[in-house]
Amino acid sequence: MKAVYALYTDPHAAQRAVDELRALGVAERDIVVMSSEPFEEYEFSHRDKATWLHWIAGGGGLTGLILGYLLTSTTQKLWPLPTSGMPIVATWPNTIVVFEMTMLGAILATVTALLITASLPGRLSRLYDPAITEGYILVGVDGPSEELAARLDRALASVAGGQVKTIA
Amino acid sequence: MAHRWGMVVDLDRCTGCEACVTACHAENNIPTVGAEEAARGRAMHWIRVERYWEGEFPEARVKFRPVLCQQCDNAPCEAVCPTYASHQTDEGLNAQVYNRCIGTRYCANACMYNVRFFNFFHPQWEKPLQLQLNPDVSLREAGVMEKCTFCVQRIKAAKSGAKAEKRELVDGALQPACAQACPAGALVFGDLNDPESRVARLAESPRGSKLLEEHGAEPKITYLQRQGWHEPDAQ
Amino acid sequence: MNRTRNNPLADDLVRPLFHTSVWFYGAVLVLATVVLAGAAAWGYQLWYGIGVAGINWPVFWGFYLTNFVFWIGISHAGTLISAILRLVNARWRRPVTRCAEVITVFALMIGALFPIIHLGRPWLAFWLAPYPSAREIWPNFRSPLVWDFFAINTYLTGSLMFLLLPMIPDFALVRDRSTGWRKRIYGALALGWQGTTKQWHRLEAGMQIMAIAIIPVAVSVHTIVSFDFSMATVPMWHSTIFGPYFVAGAIFSGIAALIIAMAALRKLLHLESYLHPVHFENLGKLLLLMSLLWAYFVFAERLTVWYGNEPSEMAVFWATQRGDYAPLYWTMVICNFVIPLPILALRQLRTIAGTVVASFAVLVGMWLERFLIIVPSLGHKQLPYSWSSYAPQPVEIIIMIATFAAMVLLYMLFSKFVPIISIWEMKVGNQPHPPVVTTDEDELAGLWRARP
Repeated sequence: MKAVYALYTDPHAAQRAVDELRALGVAERDIVVMSSEPFEEYEFSHRDKATWLHWIAGGGGLTGLILGYLLTSTTQKLWPLPTSGMPIVATWPNTIVVFEMTMLGAILATVTALLITASLPGRLSRLYDPAITEGYILVGVDGPSEELAARLDRALASVAGGQVKTIA
Repeated sequence: MAHRWGMVVDLDRCTGCEACVTACHAENNIPTVGAEEAARGRAMHWIRVERYWEGEFPEARVKFRPVLCQQCDNAPCEAVCPTYASHQTDEGLNAQVYNRCIGTRYCANACMYNVRFFNFFHPQWEKPLQLQLNPDVSLREAGVMEKCTFCVQRIKAAKSGAKAEKRELVDGALQPACAQACPAGALVFGDLNDPESRVARLAESPRGSKLLEEHGAEPKITYLQRQGWHEPDAQ
Repeated sequence: MNRTRNNPLADDLVRPLFHTSVWFYGAVLVLATVVLAGAAAWGYQLWYGIGVAGINWPVFWGFYLTNFVFWIGISHAGTLISAILRLVNARWRRPVTRCAEVITVFALMIGALFPIIHLGRPWLAFWLAPYPSAREIWPNFRSPLVWDFFAINTYLTGSLMFLLLPMIPDFALVRDRSTGWRKRIYGALALGWQGTTKQWHRLEAGMQIMAIAIIPVAVSVHTIVSFDFSMATVPMWHSTIFGPYFVAGAIFSGIAALIIAMAALRKLLHLESYLHPVHFENLGKLLLLMSLLWAYFVFAERLTVWYGNEPSEMAVFWATQRGDYAPLYWTMVICNFVIPLPILALRQLRTIAGTVVASFAVLVGMWLERFLIIVPSLGHKQLPYSWSSYAPQPVEIIIMIATFAAMVLLYMLFSKFVPIISIWEMKVGNQPHPPVVTTDEDELAGLWRARP
């Protein structure tokens, strides 16, 4: 099992490489593209864009809101101590704590979901080249069959401006 | 009906002798902070006699009044305490729970009467003065707020004594140290919920007003206005 | 190891991580000594009692609370620059974001120390946390100090995440350039980042959400800090203007701190090609705006007080305007308004040096403003018999100086271990303009199913 990939400096070349791989019949989710910066304007970067992260953040906020409400109102009722003539369950002051818990819930949910869906922390996969962080764009396939690997090699080499490499 | 402890301060009787201050120190184990600390403004007089001078000699006049914790119904010091060290009891007292106090001093800032005091250092009594400490009152440590409690230890003792003897509290028998010590009888303490008590009747007096009433703290101490002298007409 | 190939951006911004001059070690040594002196001073205070500080009856809050509000105020720099400018897609924010976010995190940590330092019994500070305790009592959620606990912790968590998340790709870059122990440490910090399109999208989406979330949190934090004062019926504290007033003041002092930090970084790390005069100009314009806003709030508050002529409020008013605190008050006005206004308004003066001078003045002025909010009011409450003044003691001064040293030290150490300018965000900023997306490409984009 090995991996075949190419490194390109020019995002246009990377786009052509992705198109070549698609033309070869490689499934979309088998095509791996890695870069040191997001290339929002290029189509190869539009994969995996749709996300439920916003909903998760909202859900985290809702959870925080409910927890904040429960925390304040329940503990105030557990040992009711009158202070400054305010009601035992002081709604207006409680809103401040509830607000902070809501935001904390949203933030923690966002960060957790981000890490999980981006597979962080994780081990570097076999298909990786340190040149990526130097500004190269990696386009390749992980674990192709022997026969596919040769065709991949040719396809990637046909796009000018790249260095084709394999990982044994 | 539950008790509602209150006090009336008759400014017409008060002579400013500060016997109340001394008695309070003795009863409640309040430390004397020393001359240096007092000069820095850290004296701890749970009850103090405030003096205001008007005019120049020989027409100088002094106005004075004792100020102590007003045991407000709507105490601004209570809601701001993060640890519930300051809260309202069901007898209307503003309780100060020393064990819960972490010393943020927010309550002291919120109190408009400045009747809350802070233990800046560990209180110390030089030997043999520690022998005169009142065993009914706990000693506070550095970093803890304290203030007048209406001698809650005496209230508790009187209540439990009355309960043991299966009788009601007698109005006037239960007195905080300041009221007990006042030679002029200017401080009257009792149950505001008892319409027959002296304090309840005096609180209705037309001479009565509350200190800083407009700030809405609803203090339970009524000050009876001094009856002024009439200057004789110039001959 | 530096590889000077076609990546001069990364070379420049990663150089401080691999090369250290002797001056750096010297500076760290000096700063660390000052910080230790501050720690010793706090230890002295813990041992002998908080009475060694200058607070008294009734001025129960002094330098420590002033510094608390000051540092929390400084922490609003990062939020404004990073979050708001990110949301409005301002391109000039890119070299500036991490510098700003670092200030936020460290200023928050230092600021959050002061509520503990000023406590009478600081070893019980954890009682502000809501946890089921054996005492069966919970914190009093009606207290603004408990609100502080929640707000500052939420803001600190959010700012830390806001800072750390975009650092991951840069950690990957350092990982790929290093060997040995450095590679292991940065490899761990990079969390195995590879730069797949999915990871980039998640990161960008996460940052967008964080940017939206952190702004109301930041506004709430300093509003809640202002509630520490406005909830008490102390003359000239009990004002409804305090919330917006404090937030504006925080952003004001935060931008000033950011300008100073950026100027220092530009000089010491030779970042002249990344931090251009236009960045300082733009921040200088924001500083000017905040100075005017600050002056507006002060004018509105003082006019209201003077017009109402309420006796206890007027006592505080005159104490600051003409009385004992007048020298400090007018110094504050000069530092916050008179000095910055011409420097920041006139283009010839709005240079890097000019904005730095204005920023130093603003920091002094804003510190004085915190002091003048707290102390004169507490010294002149409703009963004149108890009026008093306040003088700081050596403990408070040493601790204050130590926190400034700690800020500089932490900042220096950070810039030694993390690229102070976000490399990948700079690269994105340097990209050429986008080509037109064709309908074919749109269809292809639709091939990717929605999945988290």
